[in-house]
Amino acid sequence: MAHNPAQRRYMRRMIPLSLVYIATVMLASWLIPDDAAATPLTVAIALVPALATSGFIWAMARYVAELKDEYVRMLEIRKMLVATGLTLALASGWGILELFTNVPRVPLFYVFPVWCLGLAVGSLVNKVTIGDAGPCA
Amino acid sequence: MKNRLKVLRAERDWSQGDLAERLEVSRQSVNAIETGKYDPSLPLAFRIADLFGLPIEEIFLKD
Repeated sequence: MAHNPAQRRYMRRMIPLSLVYIATVMLASWLIPDDAAATPLTVAIALVPALATSGFIWAMARYVAELKDEYVRMLEIRKMLVATGLTLALASGWGILELFTNVPRVPLFYVFPVWCLGLAVGSLVNKVTIGDAGPCA
Repeated sequence: MKNRLKVLRAERDWSQGDLAERLEVSRQSVNAIETGKYDPSLPLAFRIADLFGLPIEEIFLKD
């Protein structure tokens, strides 16, 4: 539920970006066969969904910049810091495991979804430490 | 930092929502400031002081 203008604008940006993301992932899966070689064409097609994920990051950055309520902005930034710390810790920890052991290789694709899950952990940290989870944008 | 926001608000018979509306912030923010969970920035502290017609140091007090 969008409560303030920044949240409404965020949703207006994220919904079309999400639709573009889903459509381009489906299109890339359809156009590129499994285990295709990295040619200029396959790379170009595969990178189209990455434009949408870059768009997600842009939308989140605009959201934080456009939030006028400084307390809510602080809650959001704290969530993002927790998410970033958690993602870096998990990625580097798993990366080291991959270096030295034969644990399964985790595709880098999962970094962004893990970061998004980290936002939920950030909300929990806000709730426990400050008493406010922050808005769910 | 301690503050007298709750008392000043009560003197005017304003709810947290009323104060939030006047300051153009969320009710969450007013609650966080009142309960000392969040210290406002200097610009917001000045807006609060202007709203109550008092100097900042009569609203926000050193611990």
